[in-house]
This record gives sequence, structure tokens and C-alpha cells, in this order.
Amino acid sequence: MSLKEMALKQDPSCTTNSLSNYLWSDAPDENKWADCVHCGMCLESCPTYELTGQEQHSPRGRVHLIKSVAEGKLEVNEQFMDPVFACLDCRACTTACPADVDVGGLIEEARGQIRQAMPLTGWKGSVSKLFLQGIFPHQNRLNSMGSLLKFYQKSGMQKVVRKTKLINVMPQHLVEMEAIMPEIKEPLRKKYKNEKVIKAKGETKNEVSLLTGCVMDVMFSDINESTVNVLTRNGNDVSIPQNQTCCGALHVHAGDRETGRKLAKQNMEAFKDSDKVITNAAGCGCALKEYPELFREDPEWHEKAEEFSAKVEDISKYIHDTGYEKPKAELNTRITYHDACHLAHGQGVRQEPRDILLDIPGVEMVHMPNADRCCGSAGIYNITNPEMAGDVLESKMQNVPDDVEMISMGNPGCMLQMAMGVEKYGRNQKIVHTIQLLDWAYQKEDQLKGGE
Amino acid sequence: MASKQIKTNDKHVKNLANIVGGSRSILYHKEDLLAYDSDGFTLHRHLPKAVVFPKDTQEVAKLVKYCSDNQLPFLARGAGTGLSGGAIPMNGEVIISMVRMKRLLSVNLENRRAVVEPGFVNLKLTNSISDKGYYYAPDPSSQYCCTIGGNVAENAGGAHCLKYGVTTNHILGLEVVLPNGEIIEIGENGIPDAPGYDLLGLITGSEGTLGIVTKITVRILKNPEAKQTVLAYFDNVTDGSQAVSDIISAGIVPAALEMMDKTAIEGVEAAAFPVGHPKDIEAVLLIEVDGISAGIAEQINQILEVCNNRNVREVKVAQDELERGRWWANRKTGFGAMGAISADYLVQDGVIPRSKLPQVLNRINQISEEAGLRIANIFHAGDGNLHPLVLFDARIPGESEKALAAGSACLQACADVGGTITGEHGVGIEKREEMRFVFTDEEINAQTDIREVFNPNNLLNAGKLFPMPGRCVEIKKELKEKEAAIS
Repeated sequence: MSLKEMALKQDPSCTTNSLSNYLWSDAPDENKWADCVHCGMCLESCPTYELTGQEQHSPRGRVHLIKSVAEGKLEVNEQFMDPVFACLDCRACTTACPADVDVGGLIEEARGQIRQAMPLTGWKGSVSKLFLQGIFPHQNRLNSMGSLLKFYQKSGMQKVVRKTKLINVMPQHLVEMEAIMPEIKEPLRKKYKNEKVIKAKGETKNEVSLLTGCVMDVMFSDINESTVNVLTRNGNDVSIPQNQTCCGALHVHAGDRETGRKLAKQNMEAFKDSDKVITNAAGCGCALKEYPELFREDPEWHEKAEEFSAKVEDISKYIHDTGYEKPKAELNTRITYHDACHLAHGQGVRQEPRDILLDIPGVEMVHMPNADRCCGSAGIYNITNPEMAGDVLESKMQNVPDDVEMISMGNPGCMLQMAMGVEKYGRNQKIVHTIQLLDWAYQKEDQLKGGE
Repeated sequence: MASKQIKTNDKHVKNLANIVGGSRSILYHKEDLLAYDSDGFTLHRHLPKAVVFPKDTQEVAKLVKYCSDNQLPFLARGAGTGLSGGAIPMNGEVIISMVRMKRLLSVNLENRRAVVEPGFVNLKLTNSISDKGYYYAPDPSSQYCCTIGGNVAENAGGAHCLKYGVTTNHILGLEVVLPNGEIIEIGENGIPDAPGYDLLGLITGSEGTLGIVTKITVRILKNPEAKQTVLAYFDNVTDGSQAVSDIISAGIVPAALEMMDKTAIEGVEAAAFPVGHPKDIEAVLLIEVDGISAGIAEQINQILEVCNNRNVREVKVAQDELERGRWWANRKTGFGAMGAISADYLVQDGVIPRSKLPQVLNRINQISEEAGLRIANIFHAGDGNLHPLVLFDARIPGESEKALAAGSACLQACADVGGTITGEHGVGIEKREEMRFVFTDEEINAQTDIREVFNPNNLLNAGKLFPMPGRCVEIKKELKEKEAAIS
């Protein structure tokens, strides 16, 4: 045996499952990390590596740690949790990786193990439990929270709280969030409670169903409204299945895969008669498309999930591919476009929203450098990791061109985060959803026609 | 992520943390250190003692002095994309990570030079000056994320080094922290070919064994006026290799002249950046010419003619920048793409005289068959720099050993035809023993004598670059430690 061969002998060269420190089912998938050859092409794509320069906060570092637990070299503990939970789940590494390693999937699987090994405690635990289990899955509670917020805004209480500095008792990052809370309107699902189908204007070409989303429907119901307008105007009958629920993305990101599966099953059931499921929230769309990943160990549901996820499409891609009426009214505005991570990296939708925006007369598009860099919203990351999220946001805002009036994007989480950035850094851009701009152009066109 | 207390009784860790300003700039928990147990060469893994993140030259000098005074082995690391193990802490080193020193300090277009900190990423330099019509020529395939400091240490090459030369041809000045903590500047003012010994040439490519580079003055170039890229498919490797020789013999100096064989094509097409290469093709050439506009068309015609004379199946010129970009992304992510068809790979880096290409490629085929392992070839054909990628699965007992032996045999094949064992990836840990293929003991001793001058205690990146006489003892010791740790 040569010296070299001897040197090699000392390195454990095989993975034995019996060594694994993952104790629960649904453990990180060996086949996913087997694709990683540690080349490092992911490093620069990763916002947390960019900020820290530390490789345990890089995609290949995280993959290596996740693999090391399976090989019995590491325990599932606090120190392992830190890098795994500091990941923004932005999936930029998936785009950068030459070998298509599913880092996002591995991270979420690892989080599932961590949460079972070390349930959350303290205020983070309570907050996350309240939101993830107490509120998001329950539409009526979300709506009542929406009503509360509406009351908070309309009653003048918001003013009182802000004026009397009562707001100062909240942690800083929550204060910043309160400052940009959008005005609450009536949720779409409530509005169309009794309508089975919202008919297309003119001839029906397609039938689609809409996932209204939880945050979207409460905080941004006008975007849902715009989505329905754009769909019906372009020949789509739209149904809004009433028993649909939260997509589960936030639960899966947080490691609560069990609730994720429960919600996934409910949604698959709710949309079982639909041929096309349209989403206007990139995070939800990506989660729905990744349902099969949740059922790796359950062949029956896995097959259903495969079928279901094939039906899911983002509104911008759907409209772009099936054809839409070019608006004729001019909007006369300078805008820039931010790629939501779960749209660009998660679903590969990059050009379609830009094409739609450029089709609106009078819209001038200014390029945003690193447009597909995460803004730091990342689900509820900005609530759980405020410091890192703030740093990521700062670097994002530096890339927003000075002379634009609006920033367009396709995800409500990003919209809240970017609105916070605008507020925090004294900018004055309006944050809009791509589909809203298209709808506004249509509405303006109709008004002009009406006025003739 | 919040700043935490340093929780350890290790006085060295505490003292190092003090030098770099606290817990945010040091890693010492096993969980974090594991991410640093290898670089792009994964066959050896060792934990560092700690990883520190200095923010400037002064901190580097203090860290180095501390390590030197306390006899702690240490080494510098950039992005850790090296392919020969140069940044692996095989002696439990303190890793001095340079990635937070990542500023572009100045750009001087008039004199065509830029000054960067070592952690500055290679491609970012070109991106920062491209709008003014300039670029930085050395372009290793990992340029998206590798650091210029690492490029200097390894004397990195790249696809376009055929015409423009490797890193050493683009370095005008360096600030270096010597292993005793002293800070020196060489090549001051960036004047090329200064009198006296060529210290820049000595430090560049010294694989981090002579000092730690903390500031780099590089040459930048004006973008070529015109650029054309050709893709040519061949039904057999010999025709492809002959076409390479013919192009050079015709007096053309392409900016790049790259080749991939069938297995490599299978990999890149299965991975993230496929461009639709035919699956049944034996070799693809990627040829780029650049320079002043006049004459480019003529060169392209010559290249097309050469390819046709060598029975090319299909040859095409990139229609636009988008197509050109896709071809290059496909080629440049080639190593990582092997992950799509193999669990692990080992890349070799031999150099041969161009005329020996068909012969050596045949030999590599033989080696592959003998080892029972697939070998993909992605290489800079123009300068005879081969990159055989030995595909294996480390989970199968015995395969790692076979892969290493096959890789070594490939290098032997290169040395046998008058070539050498590395073109751009460096020797590191990986090719230490193979240094004996090309150097006698006396020649190796002469080189370690030079190291003694700079690095007398051999605390800085020990065990790299040269075969070590004392290695056997070292291995036994490590083996014992491992056994003790397991039991």
C-alpha cells in the first residue's frame, strides 16, 4: 500500500445510516448532497455568506454540515441550528449550482429534524407558535386579525400609539414593520364567498382557480382583486375554492413539516377539480410546487402532490404564456423590477413579469443591479432573524435606482420588506405588484373610454 | 447571529479573538470549523484549530506574529475553491480567512492597474471596470467566487491564459506579511521588471508557503475591439486534437481554445447549464479569437477551414453575446457539473506538449479502463493543459484509493511525454508525491531551502507543495489520533 493510500484510509469514506444523528423520519436526503462536489460556485450567490464571509453560512458549508450529522460527525444542537436557520431560503444557490444541488430542500429537511430535536422555547417559540399554528392556518382568525388591524388604523389608534410613543415598547424591527403596514381592505375570499365562479369578461377561454393566500388576502386584498380583474379580462373564468388554506411555506421554512403536510393535503383536496392553480405570491407558488418534497416517504400522497404541483403557475407566467390584451392607456412612470427569490430562483420566472411591464405604454424600466438578490423578507425570517434580515435589506436598498417612482415585484413578503426599506432609508418609491400595474393600465383605459 | 461571548478555556482562542475584535470574527466551535475542513479538494479533511477573520493588514500581521511566537501552525484561505488542497488545515492550523478584506482599493485606468485586497473576488474586478472598457484577464473557471489573493497563491490560470498568460503575468505589486509578522512591499509602484531578483514571481504561485498577501496591484487590460467564438463538434478525439495543433500551427493565437470529451459533455448537458451538445459526439472544441476588428473574420475563416479539413461534424460561430455567454457558462461550470453524473470527482491538472494530445488522451482512456472508473476530460487544449476528471463514489469502499491512483497515473503519463504535473491548480497536498515525477531530490531540496529563508519554522502552511520525508511518521500519528477519537 502506498503512502497516499494509507493517508486515505484514515478518512471515513462511507456513509452508514446507523451512524446518523438524525433520529426522525423524513431526514435530509442523501441523494441531494451526493450531487455536491464542494466546488464553491454557490458562495457568491449567498447573501448570508456575502455578509459574514463565513462558510458555515454558505450553501456548500450548510450542505457539508447537514451531511456531517448524517455521518455521525455532528450532533443536532444549537451550534448546528445556527447556520441552518440563518439560511434565508432564497434559493439563489440553486440557480448558481452547476450540479443542481437542491440546497433548499436539504435545509428544510434539516430544519424539520432540528425542530423535533429542540422544540422552540421563549418568545420566539411563542410568537412562531401563535402565527404558524394559531393564525395562518385559520382563515377566520386571519380575517379577524385583519379586522383588528383595520380597526387599529381606522379608529385613530394607530395615530395615538405612534404619537404617544407607546410604539417604543415594541422591539425596533417590529416598530419598523408597523410603520409600513398597508391599509387593510376586505379579503377577496370573504367578498366572493357566495360566488362559485367569477365569469370571464367576454368569451371564456380557460378556467382557473386562484390561491388567495393568507397574508396576501388580508394585507393586500387589492392585489388579489387586480389578479381577478386581469384574469377575467383575458378570458378566464376564475374560481376561488373556499376550503383552501395557507400554503404552508412558512411552516416548512420553520421546520414544522407536519403542519406543512396537513395544509398541503387540505389544499390538494380543495383544488382537486381545478386544472390550473394560479398564485400571485411567489412564496406560495413555490411552496405549492414543492409539495412532492414533503411526501417523499408517502408514495400515495407523493403521486397526488406531483399531479397537483404540475397544475400550479404564477400569474405573470400564466398570463404571459396564454396571451393577454396589451393595455392602451399610458401609465407614464419610471419603475424598476425586483426578482422575488421564490419567483426567479424558485420557479424560474424572470423574463415574463418584465415583458408584461414593458408592454404597458409609458412604463420606463430602469435596471436594478443584482435584481435577483434576496431582500431579506424570506417568509418570517425578518421577524426571527431581524439583524441579518436588516443587513440584507440594506444591501438590497443600495441597489434600488434613485430616480424611479415604483418598485414592482411578485411577492407580498418582499413588498412588506421593501416598503420597510423605503421607509427606513428615506426613499420615496411606491411598492407595487406587477399584476397591479397591468390592472391599473386596464382601468385607466376603461376610464378614458368611459369619459369619451 | 448576535455577538456572543467567547465560550472557551483555550487561551490562544481568546487571544486571537482579541486581535480581531471579538466573537464575530472568530470561529472555534467544532460545528463551524467543519465547514473549513477542506477546500475544493475533498479527499483530505482536517479540522482547523480556529478560523479568524482579520479586517486589515495590521490585524493579519498581529495574528501571524501571535501564531509565530506561540508556535501555532497557521495558513491563509480565500474562498476555498482551490483544487489541490492548498487551504486544508492538515496540521490543525489556525486559518486566517482573507474574505473580509475584499475591497477594491483603487483603479488607475491611465496606467492600467488596479489595487485590490486579497479577498476581492476575481470576476468582480472585471465587473467593476467593464463599463469603462477594461477587464482583468486571468479567468479561472471559478472566477465567479474565487479570490484574487487565492489566485496569486496558486498562480491561477484560466481559459484565456493561452493568449494572455497566467496570474503571474498580471501581478505588478504585492504587500506581504511574512511568517514572522513583518510587512513588506514588493514591486512598489507597480513598475514591471524591477532590478534585483523577481520576488513577485517567487511569491506568486508559492501556494501560501512563503507569506500572506494582503494587497495586490494587478494589470488591467483594454477590452478587445472584437471577439468571435466558435463551437466545433468532432466524431473522434484525434481529429479534434489535430485541429487544435493545426490552428496553432496556422499562426493563430486564439484567446481560448478549449476541449471537452464525450463523458464531460454528458456531465455538462445533464447539469444546470446545458447548451444542447449532441450526446454522441466524441469531442467539442470551444475556440475564441479576439483583437482588433480587422483580421478577425479572416482568422475565423481559417479556423473553420482547419476544422473542415479535420472532418468536423458541425461547426458554428456564436451569433450574439447571449449565445457566447451560454457556451462559456456551460464550459466554466464543467467541474461542478460532474456532480450531476457522479457522486465525487478528482480533477487532475497535467500539462503536455500540444503535439502529444492524441497519444496522452489514449493513455488516459487506458487508465480509465484499467481502474474501472470513468474519466472525463475538460481542458485548455490550446496550451496543452489537461484536466482529467476521475469520477468515483467515495461511499463505495476502495473507490477513493482507485481514483487517486488513476489520477496519479494520468500525471505520470503527462510527465512521460515531457510534460509536467500541474498547469494552474497547484500542487497542494494532492500532487506532493508526484513532484518526484518531475524533480530530483536535489531539485526539491533546493526549493525547500528557499522556503526556509522565508518560513524557517515551517509554521505557515506546512506539508504542502513538496513531498515530505517525515510524512510516514506524521500519518501514523494522525492514524493513532483518529483511532483514539473513534474508540
